[in-house]
Amino acid sequence: MNGALPRLVFLLGLLVLVSLLGGCRQRGGEPAAELNYRLKWLYNINTAGDLYAQEHGFFTSRGLKVTVKPGGPERDAIRELELGRAQFGVASADQVIRALAKGAPIVVIAQLFQQNPLQWIYRSAGACYASPRQLRGKTVGITFGGNDETIMRALLAKYRIAPDEVNLFSVRYDYTPFYRGEVDLWPIYRNAEGIVIAEKMAKAGEQTGFFVPDLFAVRFVANSLITTRSMLEENPGVVRSFRDALLSAWQEAMAPANAARTIALVHAYDQGTPAEIIAKQLDATRQLMLPENGRLGRIDVAAWQQTEKIMLEQGVIDSPVAVEKALLPDGL
Amino acid sequence: MLHKRLSQFLIIYFLGLGLLLAVKYCFGLSDYVIPGFTDMQNTAQAVAAGYLRAVLDTLGVAVIGHVLAIALATVVAIVGRPDNLLGTMIKTAAYNLQAYPIVAVAPIIFILLGDGLPSRLLIAAIICYFPLLLSFIGILGEPVAGIEHFYVVTGRMRWQLEVKIRAFENIHKLITVVTGSATLAMVGTIVAEFIGADSGIGYSLRIALYQSDIAKVLVALFLIGVFNSLYLVALELLGLAVRKRMGVEQRTQQ
Amino acid sequence: MLLQCLNISYRYPQGDALVFRDLNCRLADPGFHGLFGPSGVGKSTLARIMAGEISGFTGEIKRRDRAGILYSCNTERLPGWSSVGDHLTKVTPAANLPLLRELITAFDLGSCVDSRFSQLSLGQKNRANLTRYLLQDFDLLIMDESLANVDEATRKQIIVTIKQIFPDRYFLYISHSVAEVATFCARILVLRDIHKSPQLIEVAGRDHHGDAVPDRPALERAMLEIVHAA
Repeated sequence: MNGALPRLVFLLGLLVLVSLLGGCRQRGGEPAAELNYRLKWLYNINTAGDLYAQEHGFFTSRGLKVTVKPGGPERDAIRELELGRAQFGVASADQVIRALAKGAPIVVIAQLFQQNPLQWIYRSAGACYASPRQLRGKTVGITFGGNDETIMRALLAKYRIAPDEVNLFSVRYDYTPFYRGEVDLWPIYRNAEGIVIAEKMAKAGEQTGFFVPDLFAVRFVANSLITTRSMLEENPGVVRSFRDALLSAWQEAMAPANAARTIALVHAYDQGTPAEIIAKQLDATRQLMLPENGRLGRIDVAAWQQTEKIMLEQGVIDSPVAVEKALLPDGL
Repeated sequence: MLHKRLSQFLIIYFLGLGLLLAVKYCFGLSDYVIPGFTDMQNTAQAVAAGYLRAVLDTLGVAVIGHVLAIALATVVAIVGRPDNLLGTMIKTAAYNLQAYPIVAVAPIIFILLGDGLPSRLLIAAIICYFPLLLSFIGILGEPVAGIEHFYVVTGRMRWQLEVKIRAFENIHKLITVVTGSATLAMVGTIVAEFIGADSGIGYSLRIALYQSDIAKVLVALFLIGVFNSLYLVALELLGLAVRKRMGVEQRTQQ
Repeated sequence: MLLQCLNISYRYPQGDALVFRDLNCRLADPGFHGLFGPSGVGKSTLARIMAGEISGFTGEIKRRDRAGILYSCNTERLPGWSSVGDHLTKVTPAANLPLLRELITAFDLGSCVDSRFSQLSLGQKNRANLTRYLLQDFDLLIMDESLANVDEATRKQIIVTIKQIFPDRYFLYISHSVAEVATFCARILVLRDIHKSPQLIEVAGRDHHGDAVPDRPALERAMLEIVHAA
């Protein structure tokens, strides 16, 4: 009897451990019969190319069996890669750098956005932000702890604006303070809710503009395509095929000639957003992913290094991570 | 009592932590997925003071919200106690309203009241209010025939006396329900802070999750657990004092 | 006459079967009367109908104008938040406070007054409960097994005391003891199974006041009559 209880506790513990690790058995480095691709967010315009690849056979034509899984606030592609539950994923640059700082064995195989969609919307009537110095005395919305805080603080530091010269306002999902005019600049994703808010404001007779940190030399990288180092080392062909498939799909999805197909596809997965809004979101996305002289998927090493520098300066990471080592060269 | 509560929590917490570390080291996961011991230690040192203030802030709001919920549930249960149309309506409304998930209601509250203290208080109170109300209605609506009969037939029964009799006879249940709902008040406050407030440990948790910093989350969970245990112990001691004062202990000894 | 039941028929709210069919009885004169019958025959139900605590019967209950009828039973409890003495004092009309002291002595409750109800023995609990009813303003007090768990000697003393103190009041004593009801009750209402007609028979008891030795043969005849009637 005395020995029965510890044995029972041990067995129960083992059972819990085994059930918890159910998803950990398939390690990232092993060749996967089926590949899981974890997106960063729910299906919307930011996943247009991913959906396009899945629906139009870009994966299967390269012999890949890929399951595209939507992301969300509780989903973290990097963790899923490490746990072997996904082989590819989308993560923001700050997530990648934080993970590298903690020893996560991940590599970036493509940079989806060439310009960060995280920007600030403002009422353009009577306001002009030709320089960040014009933010002095303004109320600027930021999500404390979020990327926008890091970007805004970097911008303020770069232009030598003391934090107390700007009124930083904690924002959430509720845009009321912006609509009421209590906040001058509100952080939004330019190609997603930025379009919706601008439309609403236009209907109310108010013109809007977007404050773009990239234009002021604060280039903070956004979403990128990632995989694990072991996956890359053990299955470079699979990684190459996946990346090529996805970038080709994005290329086609962004092509103006295919706009109707892309809009219809995104609308099928994101029925809450009207097709005409998706059309505008598509135009904005195209500009962010394919700027002039840009190439889709290009990894902007300098921008990544600046992103790391910003994070280091703001104490988000404790020591350098040499992010360039985790960026896959174009030649794979 | 304090020792028991705290040791229960610490055992569960460190078992969970041990399990996480076992997973980490068995599968060679990075500190990003599951933080290592040193990482947790460094994080704890870095954020402990700030998180301690945040958790005390949360506890303060939770206690006030809890008291408000108890007061409101008592009043509504007294009003809804009789087996008449009003009582039935109140019971039905309570059962239906508690079905609404707070995450759906909270944004409306934040829009109406802003992201300050009132919203946190209200959400904390709402989360622990309905379980309290349903229990209070059950207890205060159930006659204690063996005691009430005399007062009814001799024309002495007043609503205050009726409530007193039913509350006294069910004091153990009431104390258990109040103590149990304390955790809900704490959870409610944290949820409110997580969703929309700009202070408290729930807000700190949200930032930690934004930053994918599980070490911070674990430190926050530790502090939440410790202070929740302390609050429960305080309530249990209060319950003991109330029972002693009302002479309930003598009955249980009997 | 204080109370008369005329053609009372009744079935329980959740039951199909009748408990009483065209039952008739009356309490014509003051005194200590009994209600006797086998278990489950409906004694408590009839008592509560008489007290006006149960409705939904057919037939008629005639009560004397403004008659105060109280029903007490042995499952009742005093609240636990104060002592027995405090409670009894609180529920006693000011004019009856001397009577309270008298009853506490007569019912041997002196040692209980400072205790909580939960600390009393079952017999003490029943005596304390009966005491508070006796202190109220009533014409008829129905005592439904109110002296259960009280030892025989004390029971006798209590009944005799009640008869002495309240000679002009009505009491209806429900008990399973044939000897007790035959000895102390003036009239005994014997309630029988619904299939027997009439369902209730009235039998004369010995109405003993404790002042003399009971007439044994007469008592035995009364007991026999009750048992036969039941």
